[in-house]
Amino acid sequence: MQIFINTYGTYLHVKDDMFEIKVKDKEEKKVKINHIAAHKITSFIVSKGSAISTDAVALALKHNIDIVVVENDGHPMGRFWHSKLGSTTKIRKRQLEASLGEEGLEWVKQWIMKKLENQADYLQDLAKHRSTLLPYLQHQQDQILNYRLRIKELNGGVVQEHADMIRAMEGNSGRLYFGALSKSIHPEFAFQGRSFRPAKDPFNAMLNYCYGILYSRVERSLMLAGLDPYVGFLHRDDYNMKSLVFDFIEPYRIYAERCVFVLFSTKKVKKSFFDEIVGGVTLNAEGKPFLVENFTKFFDVQVIRYKGRNQTRANALQLEAHQFANRLIEKL
Amino acid sequence: MITWVMYDIKKDKPRGKIAKACLHAGLYRVQYSVFLGMLTANQQDTLSLLLEELIDEETDSVYIFPMSKEELNRTVLLGQAFDKEFVTDEIRSLFF
Repeated sequence: MQIFINTYGTYLHVKDDMFEIKVKDKEEKKVKINHIAAHKITSFIVSKGSAISTDAVALALKHNIDIVVVENDGHPMGRFWHSKLGSTTKIRKRQLEASLGEEGLEWVKQWIMKKLENQADYLQDLAKHRSTLLPYLQHQQDQILNYRLRIKELNGGVVQEHADMIRAMEGNSGRLYFGALSKSIHPEFAFQGRSFRPAKDPFNAMLNYCYGILYSRVERSLMLAGLDPYVGFLHRDDYNMKSLVFDFIEPYRIYAERCVFVLFSTKKVKKSFFDEIVGGVTLNAEGKPFLVENFTKFFDVQVIRYKGRNQTRANALQLEAHQFANRLIEKL
Repeated sequence: MITWVMYDIKKDKPRGKIAKACLHAGLYRVQYSVFLGMLTANQQDTLSLLLEELIDEETDSVYIFPMSKEELNRTVLLGQAFDKEFVTDEIRSLFF
């Protein structure tokens, strides 16, 4: 279970070897106390304005629970995690090697191709119930698949030689894809492309928040698999960039997109979920729990068919991260 | 497995310890002396051994009942009910 702490003045500490969460109730002027056994929790997602005791941090570390501090839009700023590697150093050495060699290009191609494939598949799904948009959606889908093909045909050399090309293809198909999503959504919520910090419209606000959760989950999965989130393949080695997270997340972005889009298309999203801010909109205290609840149900409860077994999407992601790490060291 | 733990304990001190042990095991308190939650077979064993040490066999009793999901769905709850999804760990995110 993941615990989200968003209420100002919440205090997380330890009592009797269990987590105790104290929340101030403004209206009733009472403090509500909740006890949760440590092994029931997988992570704490905490936004600013709450207090955590060192004992709580220690108990979390002991139980492999990560404490993630997030910004208002759901993007992780940092996390407490034990300073162990989680696996063998061999993986990290191989990861560095792979990121520099030709092998890196193959991985990058695989991730980006999967992403474009997901986008095309989704447009196809949308077209099924939107007969008037069918020709348009099919056209967009074909073009995205065309970009995918051009990435597939890249050969030889290291990632850096092809990076601009890959990014261009990725960007082009992103524009087509989000343009198509905007046309397929209820006109009231139509949007102009992607926007973040701040999001200019409700769709982007929800999508950004979902991506934020996804970033954090991908980072956790990579760490658990013994990989270094900072050593990326396609994304540049910029100062403080969690490059591998940005690379590895690509095939999974679709989870956020599908989950958010369905909330809009089934008319579950209310105007009251959003607050206007300078230059855009943001999810408020009513919208966040709604979105998180739906996304965790989608990600952690509902199962998909993965390698012949029923798995939650979260488990499948973790398995893929382990598999990636294992494939890296196999080649020694 | 969904597990019910209910007890009747005479002395205050062991009763308090038993309640804590149940909470530690990850059960939720649905009445003063009734706990409910998901336990693995191992966790249930551990808990029963722990509780066995705490009770006075002459005066006290602890009952541990396993129950299937289907049976839980057929239970009748009157008055202050508990959240069936919550006690079966189907709620994966909590907001504070």
